[in-house]
Amino acid sequence: MSTYLPETRYPLELAPAMPDVWELWQRAKTLEWDPETDIPWEELHPERYAEHQIMAARLHWSRRTWGEYGAISESPALLLRFCLENRLPDLRFFFTMRTQEEGRHAEASWLMAERLGGYFPQPQNPPTVSAVGTHGVRRMAFDPDTSLEGIFASLVCAAEEILIDAFKATVHKATNPAVRRLMELILRDEVRHIAFGWQCLDAWAPSFTPETVENIERAVTQMIQNVEFNGYRNLWLAIEGGSATPLEIDADRVACEAGLGGTTPEDEMGIVPQFIRKIRARMAPWGVNLPMFDHPKLGKV
Amino acid sequence: MSETSDRLLRGYQAQEKRFLERRFPLRFTTENPALRELYAQAKGFRWNPETDIAWSRFDARAYAPAVREAARLVWSRRAWGAYPGLGENTALLIRFCLESGAAGMDAKLFLSFRPAEEAKHLEACFLFAKQLGGYESTPTAAVARVSNQPFAQMALDPDVPVEAVVAALGCLDDQIDLNLCLSHLQHSRDETARAILRLVASDKQRHVLFAWTLLGDRMPRLDAAGRAAVGRAVRDMLERVILAGYRNTWLLPEEAREPLLAAEALTAQEGLGASTVAQEKAVVRATLAQVRERLATWDVALAPVDHPELGRA
Repeated sequence: MSTYLPETRYPLELAPAMPDVWELWQRAKTLEWDPETDIPWEELHPERYAEHQIMAARLHWSRRTWGEYGAISESPALLLRFCLENRLPDLRFFFTMRTQEEGRHAEASWLMAERLGGYFPQPQNPPTVSAVGTHGVRRMAFDPDTSLEGIFASLVCAAEEILIDAFKATVHKATNPAVRRLMELILRDEVRHIAFGWQCLDAWAPSFTPETVENIERAVTQMIQNVEFNGYRNLWLAIEGGSATPLEIDADRVACEAGLGGTTPEDEMGIVPQFIRKIRARMAPWGVNLPMFDHPKLGKV
Repeated sequence: MSETSDRLLRGYQAQEKRFLERRFPLRFTTENPALRELYAQAKGFRWNPETDIAWSRFDARAYAPAVREAARLVWSRRAWGAYPGLGENTALLIRFCLESGAAGMDAKLFLSFRPAEEAKHLEACFLFAKQLGGYESTPTAAVARVSNQPFAQMALDPDVPVEAVVAALGCLDDQIDLNLCLSHLQHSRDETARAILRLVASDKQRHVLFAWTLLGDRMPRLDAAGRAAVGRAVRDMLERVILAGYRNTWLLPEEAREPLLAAEALTAQEGLGASTVAQEKAVVRATLAQVRERLATWDVALAPVDHPELGRA
């Protein structure tokens, strides 16, 4: 082990330093749940739905599983960075729980796809992998030239925020009790994840340098243009169309209309522009100016 | 952030780039029911250091100031020992993900829980040290040196097979840690110390089972070079880390043992969550014998070691 680089771990401070974030850690410990036992699976009744609806819902929940997996395989790298950089203990404590919760979301989404008839382990056309496969957070987390503030802003305040905005806007459409409960439980965890990101950035904002602001602008812009508009969350939004099949692109709408989760293009037309306006306004006091984005379906947002 | 952390991050960056991640097909089905069961148990046996330990029933004034001072030092050291688990297990989780999307989901799900469990252990140690008079954030230089091991880097090193990482960290270090924890529990009389040790041990038991179960699944498929790497990693962990005092103060260089050694003796005597040196020696010797026997079933030889404090073990 002598070839590895020594860390500077001490002094190892453990006392809470960010009370709001510490509270999120405390709260997370009291709200643990189990996808196997806390979802009313007996109320799923896939036999009550048409074949094309079940297929769409299986595709939707499989896609969600792939997305959640990114939070197991990529964003935990941030915890390694917090440890190396001796960030405040609140961040380290909270992020351990976030990884656990994301693992649970992945398992729950997989179980939903399975119990609807079967999980799909990959996109129908392999090239779609580039759209849905990664948001690139692990690479960013291990890159000292990418500021932590930029990663937080792009991962938490952009990628996770839009996910939750979509959930919030459509959870009432999930008429299936099992699907609805799952969405509520995921939503409850994700609200904490997002609060974590905003609380950290708000606390650090007074010390932002022009470089930090530029870094945030670049990271958030890339997340919206290269990830969100590439169809990572919803293939209907993919600007290039990619290689996704019509069935995959339409899956969210069909599942949503059946009450089995997902969004319709009409939902997205409302959710995405509103989300961009919201984070643009929310980040403005930090000196962050997000550009206008052109999207063929959404227009200028 | 700092030159050191930048260098360390670039190290991770370089390690990560050496893997060619194949995320799809991304399989979730159970490959190893025993590992999936350990994950299910982790979900079911959750606890919270803030609320599941009866802190209000602990009366620090029942102990003399010297005892409190000793115990706060011992529990601070225990926090320093728990802390690396956050990073090591996160790195191991990322390692499994980098190796394959198609395989290893049982391990990935289990490891997605483990950093939070380690964080709970850390918090419990911190809270108890606080109750005893205050957590100590800075060890002596010698203890800092021996407890500051680059295991997260090892977990992400593509030149070290994942089985070797799990064997060194899980089968040896975690096993010693668990057995020591059980010894402290057995010899503790204080209700709060016992509650903490019992809860921590229940998690550690799973962690150790995870390591042995994973190896039980993978070792038979490992070639001779892989088995040799496992043997090297375990021996390295034993000789350069464990026997250097990573878990046991009496194994530190003689001049570096105090004031911790005296603090542990007093804490053990008062039943506040420690074992005597004699008890710890018995635990380490028994654990090494146990680990050696289990590894031998896979043709991995762990040669006896000689140490002035431990003798031949």
